[in-house]
Amino acid sequence: MKRMILARLVWTAAILLGVSFVAFMLVRALPGDFAQAAAGAQNVAPEVLEAARRDLGIDRPLLEQYLIWLGQAARGDFGNSFVTRQPVLGELLPRFIVTFQLTLIAGIIAMAMGVATGLASARLRGRADWIVRIYNGCILAVPNFIVATLIVLIVGLYFPQIAIFNYTPFFTDPLANVSGLLLPALSLALAVSVTISENTRAAVLEVSGQDFVMVARAKGLLPRTVLTNYLMRNAMTPIVTVTGLQVATLLGGSILVETIFAIPGMGQYLFDSITGRDYPVIQAIVLLASAVVVLVNMLVDIAYARIDARAQT
Amino acid sequence: MLFSAPAFAAGDGERATPVAGGMLTIGADADPIGLDPTTVTAFSSSDFLALIYTGLLRWNAGMGIEPDLAVSYEMPDEKTYIFKLREGVKFHNGQDFTAEDVKYTFDRILDPATASKLRAQYSSISAVTVVDPFTVKFELEAPNAAFLNYLATAPDGAIVPKGVEDLATKPVGTGPFVFESYQPNQQFTLTANPDYYEEGLPYLSKVVFRFYKDQSTLSSALRSKAIDMTWLKDPKVAALMTRTSPQLVSAPGQTSRTFPIWLNMKAKPFDDIRVRRALSLATDREACVQTVLGGSGKVGAMIPESQVGGYDGVGEMPYYRHDPEAAKKLLAEAGYPDGIDLGDYIVVAANPLDVACAQILQQQWQAAGITVKLMPMETAPLLNQWSTGTWPTLLSVALSWTPDADAIFQYLVSDSKFGKAIGVSDEKLDAMIAAARSEVDAAARAARNMEIQRYIADNVYIMQVYQYPLRWEIWWDSVKGYEPLAANIRSFVRTTWRDE
Repeated sequence: MKRMILARLVWTAAILLGVSFVAFMLVRALPGDFAQAAAGAQNVAPEVLEAARRDLGIDRPLLEQYLIWLGQAARGDFGNSFVTRQPVLGELLPRFIVTFQLTLIAGIIAMAMGVATGLASARLRGRADWIVRIYNGCILAVPNFIVATLIVLIVGLYFPQIAIFNYTPFFTDPLANVSGLLLPALSLALAVSVTISENTRAAVLEVSGQDFVMVARAKGLLPRTVLTNYLMRNAMTPIVTVTGLQVATLLGGSILVETIFAIPGMGQYLFDSITGRDYPVIQAIVLLASAVVVLVNMLVDIAYARIDARAQT
Repeated sequence: MLFSAPAFAAGDGERATPVAGGMLTIGADADPIGLDPTTVTAFSSSDFLALIYTGLLRWNAGMGIEPDLAVSYEMPDEKTYIFKLREGVKFHNGQDFTAEDVKYTFDRILDPATASKLRAQYSSISAVTVVDPFTVKFELEAPNAAFLNYLATAPDGAIVPKGVEDLATKPVGTGPFVFESYQPNQQFTLTANPDYYEEGLPYLSKVVFRFYKDQSTLSSALRSKAIDMTWLKDPKVAALMTRTSPQLVSAPGQTSRTFPIWLNMKAKPFDDIRVRRALSLATDREACVQTVLGGSGKVGAMIPESQVGGYDGVGEMPYYRHDPEAAKKLLAEAGYPDGIDLGDYIVVAANPLDVACAQILQQQWQAAGITVKLMPMETAPLLNQWSTGTWPTLLSVALSWTPDADAIFQYLVSDSKFGKAIGVSDEKLDAMIAAARSEVDAAARAARNMEIQRYIADNVYIMQVYQYPLRWEIWWDSVKGYEPLAANIRSFVRTTWRDE
């Protein structure tokens, strides 16, 4: 077990190094740079733009820039934002917490909806199964930014008393903060809930057919006891795995959902940084998001190994 | 003037007396990028700089020039300006303001090592001399009618304190408000300058900018009174908001921005003047004003109406009439009897007004046998293509307010960065632009500027569609004493007060 964790950690570091390199080169391959984006449609002399590039260090050879960045990052310094000239890390952390909150709420909603509908569809069968599966198919076909836009449209038109674009910081008013995040979290959660629902359905169906469930029923245990102690307990392993793997989907989706709902989280920050070509910020966010995804995957693997003895090799 | 700007908002200027104190919250759509007026390149910084720094001159509400840090100036000849400075003015750090600071500011701008974007527009200055602590002399290489306009513009004419470092993050000016704090993407806070030199001003004790990156959040923040004032990009949204909430005041100000189509004349087919003229004839500019701006604008030429000699939107301009048949005939003459496919028309995807106008133009041109493919593009790569001259045929990026008409004409000077990008090489035009710049008499200069605009329209070196105010400013009527300014800055926050 220890060996496995150690190996995974080394592997994780290698992945992050690769991600940082690709992200670094990709953002620089985008046409247009910060100096030009900041000057906008003004008639700015080329030497002024050149001076700005020199000042930011983006006129140097790409590999040199990368190594400088890597050296600083290794010491925990992710550079300063080009826009605000403040350390990226200091700006990123409060936003990361907002996104963490949003994805957490979305994860809980997705889990609740997914497990409930999946279980209903597997246990009730018949018409309920069909309704859930058609619903799942429809939701899966609609990208989260369309769901988010529809929510904005519907709430804006029919429920004007609900403030949509009204993010409140947690420490100002915790209740307003959480309730403000519900709709964005819902639009983020829907697609994920479908994946969880489908997997729950499959897992429950699979476990239902197994001998130990039949034995439990034959012993005359209450259906509720069979469900919670035998069925769900065994079906939970794949469900947890799938949910863990959806963290990447949630983080990716937060970029669009935060932008649409004007939530000052990491996703919105990334969107602004990409359009403004604020390289240090883009790199830091991509790295942080990758780290979260890789780490969650690792934890899922470890948890899986602990739950299921067969995976402990 | 198309838009009448009331002297005081809501027309109760004479009834109410200004009350000191209170806070004004302004919704802003972009963070500043640097707060040193000399080294800043981003347009988004101007709004903040204009309240922190002041210059020798300033614009009044009617876009006339009045003294500010200077009390008067005289011109012994057309190339020399002597300014008498206000005495007893202090910078926010307590330092006294003197002629040395003026000299320092301009020497720093003109030093190539500073890499100031302002260096180009002040390049005609040959020397700045301190005559005595409160008198400063500017000597120019040639008469330059634009010079005073640049000085009056914030932040281009802003005076910085001599020997103070790190202005980009710790701004120190002479303006009505003092920098207090800045949390990126969240809040920018200013407090009243207790030593401000205009008696009794500013009325407000605090000005807070809150950042809302998109227009829908900005307008709902205004509606929910999370902010007192903002500016919107779409006139139709501003009009709708004032209609539904009569306590909202919307004053668009003068037209300050134009929507041009930049033609790549370096290659076929736009190297042929007949194709360019055909495009102009195929365009129904008035229809664009009506549909895209809901009538809140005017037909545009090279310089907007708020500039000296700016086009008023109704006067005759060559090839401005809408005549698809004549366009077809010109195209046939140029060798395109069956119409022409101009390929990609690149527009700023993030600007809905631009995209909407481009769609209408596409339909209008179709009627004259001109086909384009719309290509909305992300802003950064679009600017890259525009400034390097690598766009295929047509590209639109709006031209914002500049302190002087000359700065707009500079886009079309042969062998300049943009002249090369567009592919314009016309000695006659260069001479006309140079002559207008050195014409110090305002009326004569207006006539020259008008002549240049006709010449540009006649040659269709750039195809202008319409002109409009850059922003539609809007605020709750409890905010008094504010006036929007065509110069795209909120100078009149200094006379703003709260009536509650």
